[in-house]
Amino acid sequence: MAIYAIQRFFLSVLIVIIAVTLLNVMLHLVPGDPAVMVLGPRATPELIEQTRVAMGLDRPFVLQMMTFFGNLLRGDMGVDVFTGRSVTTIVMEALPYTLALITVSIFWAAAIGIPLGAYSSIRRNSWIDRITGILSVGTISIPSFVMALYGVLIFAVWLNWLPAIGAGEGWGDQVIHLILPAFAVGVSWVGYISRIVRASMLEVMGENHVRMARAFGLSEARITRAYVLRIAVLPAVTLIGAGVAHLFSAAVFVEVIFARPGIGALIVSAVNERNYPIVLGAVLITTAIIVLATLISDLVIAWLDPRQREGI
Amino acid sequence: MSKTIHTITLGRRGFLQGAAATGLAAGTMPLASAIWAQSGTTLRAFSYADIDKLDPGFYQNGYNVDVMNCIYTKLARYKPGREWEIELEAAEELEQVDDTHIRFKLKPGIMFSGGYGEMTAEDVKFSFERVLEHDSPVKGDWGPLQSVELDEEDKYAGTIVLEKPFQPLWTITIPYGVGHIVSKKAVMEATGDGSDFGMEPPAFSGPYMLEEWKPNQYVKMVRNPDYSGDVQPGYDEIRIIPMDDEKVAERAYEAGDLDYTALTLSSLANYKANPPANTMIEEYPSLYYVWVGMNLENETLKDENLRKAIQYAINVPQIMDAAYFGEAAPSTGLIAPGLTGHRAQSIVPPEGNLDKAREYLEKAGGAPSQPITIDALNATTWKTIAEVIQAQLGQIGIQVQVNVQDSGSFWTLGMESEGDRWKNMQLIVNRFSMLPDPFYATSWFTTEQVGIWNWERFSNPEFDKLHEAALSEADTEKRSDMYRQMQDLMEESGAYRFLTHEGSPVMFRDDVQPALRPDARPLYLGFKPA
Repeated sequence: MAIYAIQRFFLSVLIVIIAVTLLNVMLHLVPGDPAVMVLGPRATPELIEQTRVAMGLDRPFVLQMMTFFGNLLRGDMGVDVFTGRSVTTIVMEALPYTLALITVSIFWAAAIGIPLGAYSSIRRNSWIDRITGILSVGTISIPSFVMALYGVLIFAVWLNWLPAIGAGEGWGDQVIHLILPAFAVGVSWVGYISRIVRASMLEVMGENHVRMARAFGLSEARITRAYVLRIAVLPAVTLIGAGVAHLFSAAVFVEVIFARPGIGALIVSAVNERNYPIVLGAVLITTAIIVLATLISDLVIAWLDPRQREGI
Repeated sequence: MSKTIHTITLGRRGFLQGAAATGLAAGTMPLASAIWAQSGTTLRAFSYADIDKLDPGFYQNGYNVDVMNCIYTKLARYKPGREWEIELEAAEELEQVDDTHIRFKLKPGIMFSGGYGEMTAEDVKFSFERVLEHDSPVKGDWGPLQSVELDEEDKYAGTIVLEKPFQPLWTITIPYGVGHIVSKKAVMEATGDGSDFGMEPPAFSGPYMLEEWKPNQYVKMVRNPDYSGDVQPGYDEIRIIPMDDEKVAERAYEAGDLDYTALTLSSLANYKANPPANTMIEEYPSLYYVWVGMNLENETLKDENLRKAIQYAINVPQIMDAAYFGEAAPSTGLIAPGLTGHRAQSIVPPEGNLDKAREYLEKAGGAPSQPITIDALNATTWKTIAEVIQAQLGQIGIQVQVNVQDSGSFWTLGMESEGDRWKNMQLIVNRFSMLPDPFYATSWFTTEQVGIWNWERFSNPEFDKLHEAALSEADTEKRSDMYRQMQDLMEESGAYRFLTHEGSPVMFRDDVQPALRPDARPLYLGFKPA
């Protein structure tokens, strides 16, 4: 298990390096000059050139990347070309908002999706199962930004129950500001999770160890909880682990629609402004989180399922 | 020539002609809205962009200046209202002694926060001269500034000395970004050499001070306890909330999260018909100018007849209907109504003329064999404009391919420093912002700007000469004529089809009394509860 974890760690570092390098290559391939964006329209060509040199943009791409990773080892991700603030500070200011959003989204989705899927599988073909099926497919097919727009219109504009923009101040206010965005991001995941748990439970219910448990006279509730759900939930854990990347992309739209701070909104504006240090810093952190989430989901699966541990 | 000012009018009184002002209110604000909106004396306002520079000597854009207006003072400031006027702010007297000398005398007792003492002429000298000394990107706003001379007998008095006359000084230098006065002592302590202090103002002198800036969330300004001037701040707190998308701001306003917001022209009719509760809607003209440019050095568009065919084939009112829902009017040039140099009409009529377009196309030897390209920013309005033009040119047989680009790519499209992309650029839908002096518009189209911001690569010695001469021309009528001639020259080149100045509708609660420039730019300093 320890060797497996170490291998996965080095693989994760490699993935992060490759992802950040590829993104930087793409950024340099599309036209746009950060120096022009920083200085504004009235800057002289000489000043633009000086700024380009000061930003290191005149150097070969490979050197720029080596400098970036070299500085990274010292914990320095550079400075924002517009405000001069540290990229680490800017990214770390935005990150908690996105993490809160995706964590709350996935937790409420799992909290509803898992019991719903389990119930549907136990009461297969009941009216609740049918309704759940229809709603699940419906929510899966609606993009989160559409949910966000309708959420704002219904709950903020028409009903005036919830705020439409911002992240709030203070714990209570932040929770209130999180409700609509988390609803928008999480709602399609309720469908995903409930469908996958239902299918997985139906499969596990037919396995030998479940029949054996029934033969021993264990209650259905105990069988479901201890012998079926524990295994049936594994695909959902894998799905959530792999889905963190998807959650980050959903967060991009939702953060823009709710004018909410976060990594997604930060990356969108930084790409538009060709603010390379911010893009690199934000993508580095995002990629690291996605890789970490995948690693954690693999380790959780290994912990939940002894067969997986043996495989390792 | 000697004039002392208290209030001066910057433009002609006709600035608002054609712009209707509408006030609408209805219903009652829901309880939840009342809670989230204006609480106590807090004003929540929308801004298109977050701030990224609070050093006035190095300001980047109007969003920064909106905040600077509240936290610093200037010799004179724009007066809120429907006409372009300035009024004294930090100055007790401001006098144009002759073409190149402007004498000022500060009001005594204007204090900098943080114990940095009283504002003196020494601070004015430092604030203005550092813009040149440190090679600020906006040093052009100070034009031919030579120095600021101090009065040896009066610590509040001094004289701004120019190398040659510079008319925009009164319209965009003194009352705008680089006109703000900072504390010499505080800036020197903070920077060591008086250079750009970025986002950390070392001292405030305005009625408000910056309490908190949460990037991409809000700018929070509160009353400045050290302020000793004559402005009574209307609010305990002003919170400016940046949002990339105006539509998001509109929804936030409806939900009660904002007290003041700009409106999109596409939403205007709807809001006028169904205004949110307790809301006023007002329409203001805008200074922005939108046009279709043509690259004069592109192989296909080198033919003047082809360019003129395109000019005449473009029907501007149709574009206004499609892209602005009929809420914007066609323009006659770069310079908006009400400003010095506005043209009463364009050479090519707004509707164009398809017969003339076909005649020119015939002279050009027919439509190009390959489709010509039109570049536009990736927002609905610009895409729509490009698509309408595609259809209109199709009527005379010119095939057009629409290229949509993100802002990072778009804004370097015609720059020579970005490689050879400019050579392939053909038509472009462009929009520039503007300050209330015609110099600000024409300065982008001089020969010097070819390959920088002059993407049409329009180069005309007469235009350049007029541009230089107009900077110094004190006679408003003569100056106006010069700018009209310049726009004629641009249009005659066939490289430009002027489209519109758009419009600036705003929406605010009826318990807010906004203070806006004639182009609806908010002057938060003057916002008050109604």
